[in-house]
Amino acid sequence: GDMLQKPRSRGRPNSQAERERDWGRGAAEEAPSTSRGAGSSQEARSASSQGSRRAEASPEVGPRSQQQLELKVAELVQFLLIKDQKKIPIKRTDILKHVIGDYKDIFPDLLKLAAERLEYVFGYKLVELEPKSNTYILINTLEPVEEDAEVRGDQGTPTTGLLMIVLGLIFMKGNTIKETEVWDFLRRLGVYPTKKHLVFGDPKKLITEEFVRQRYLEYRRIPHTDPVDYELQWGPRTNLETSKMKVLKFVAKVHNQDPKDWPAQYCEALADEEARARPETSGPAPSS
Amino acid sequence: MEEGRAERRRRTEAPSHTQGGPRRAGVMTDVHRRFLQLLMTHGVLEEWDVRRLQKHCYRVHDRTAAVEELEDFINNINSVLESLYIEIKKGATEDDGRPVYALVNLATTSVSKMASDFAENELDLFRKALELIIDSETGFASSTNILNLVDQLKGKKMRKKEAEQVLQKFVQNKWLIEKEGEFTLHSRAILEMEQYIRETYPDAVKICNICHSLLIQGQSCETCGIRMHLPCVAKYFQSNSEPRCPHCNDYWPHEIPVFDPEKEREAATSRATKRSLRSRQH
Repeated sequence: GDMLQKPRSRGRPNSQAERERDWGRGAAEEAPSTSRGAGSSQEARSASSQGSRRAEASPEVGPRSQQQLELKVAELVQFLLIKDQKKIPIKRTDILKHVIGDYKDIFPDLLKLAAERLEYVFGYKLVELEPKSNTYILINTLEPVEEDAEVRGDQGTPTTGLLMIVLGLIFMKGNTIKETEVWDFLRRLGVYPTKKHLVFGDPKKLITEEFVRQRYLEYRRIPHTDPVDYELQWGPRTNLETSKMKVLKFVAKVHNQDPKDWPAQYCEALADEEARARPETSGPAPSS
Repeated sequence: MEEGRAERRRRTEAPSHTQGGPRRAGVMTDVHRRFLQLLMTHGVLEEWDVRRLQKHCYRVHDRTAAVEELEDFINNINSVLESLYIEIKKGATEDDGRPVYALVNLATTSVSKMASDFAENELDLFRKALELIIDSETGFASSTNILNLVDQLKGKKMRKKEAEQVLQKFVQNKWLIEKEGEFTLHSRAILEMEQYIRETYPDAVKICNICHSLLIQGQSCETCGIRMHLPCVAKYFQSNSEPRCPHCNDYWPHEIPVFDPEKEREAATSRATKRSLRSRQH
């Protein structure tokens, strides 16, 4: 009985053509799923597959079964988890293209359900990077603990140390710093923009490209500078994942001092804490 | 019989409501969430490592609570994961029967995790290797045979030198195991892709006569052709001086492996990097 079609949509193609088409893509790309109803323009490619599609896939955009909806939410959760692993913000357009498909009309509901499951099951909160940006990231509701590193399967983020240092520098310097100043500081730690580093690899690329792509940092050219210089500021992800107070505490710890030893920064961090404590205006999944 | 159990659970326990509140069984706490988060960082994890991970999560969130029996702990989590079409699946390494766990996707083609880590031509190379492995008698495909198919790959053209490196990448990411220039599936791949393989290659796929799970490496009866995993053989013919095929009753022609559970635990705790097969005795 294992070869029989199961009631749950499994998305298994049977023909060779389908096998080959679906191999190269997983849930992250084109999940063989309920999204390919008859209304989709992707049908031309898989005309022969329609007959062998699971019974659950609705032939037209009509009432959808509970199972179909459940499967769609499951796919969305998978997609978000996989995409977030790379730490690149997830675009709404990608979600719509690769997962939602024909279910576009109920996209806000699907996203809301997926967000609920992500938080309840995994402890990840789905948040929009910036209001109206239509890009999302997952925030961990669980505090990372030092001993996590011993039981992880990946290196976690060994580069976190470097990021924290840069974030600290930026904050302590008044929320913006010149790139040249960053290297002046990092050189003292044996980290150079032009030299390969044992742990960080290419520190210049890490700081000015990777951290920027992950939205931890903003990197902008300062006009009329010669030689050209850039400024670094916190990116939107930083404000979501950490806080001025947390970063100040990190800096204090590194110096073996108390956060209050920097009264200006401490005041600023306190104000930031208060602002965060005020009730949020929007939930995890925006309604637009 | 893990496969059978999972099958039965999927068919009989069809949920009648959507997401929202907790399921009828299983409530998630931060212990479970941290466990899941950290488990997800591994492609596949050995049982003793899973137990260590579980203890760690209790220590972080609930020092005073008694650590739940692993099987119950996992079943609890799986009952919550069910509606998401994923599951913590238990399997065993084919060469020496060590219990392993992986978080697997039940709903779509199980290459999704791979798909996000590899390029189109790399995935096609894996597919070619997979087909050779499934079609082989031993469960192994030689490097040469795999590399000879490099011209047939979809996507960007790949040279043999590059393909060699991609194969090593598969080994590093625990999709393949390499032994003396030959490749077979890692337990991770078997756990994650069992469904996909059974449905995509229904004629070529081999099944163990004892546990009914997918079989890549194993022993076969030379008379009737049924196959068994090495650990399944060890268990089935335990202290049997005259091993006979369970299907046709002919004398079982192969050496019966013996797996020593004590040695397993020692090797596990000493964190040996490479495991050698246990000495075989009759």
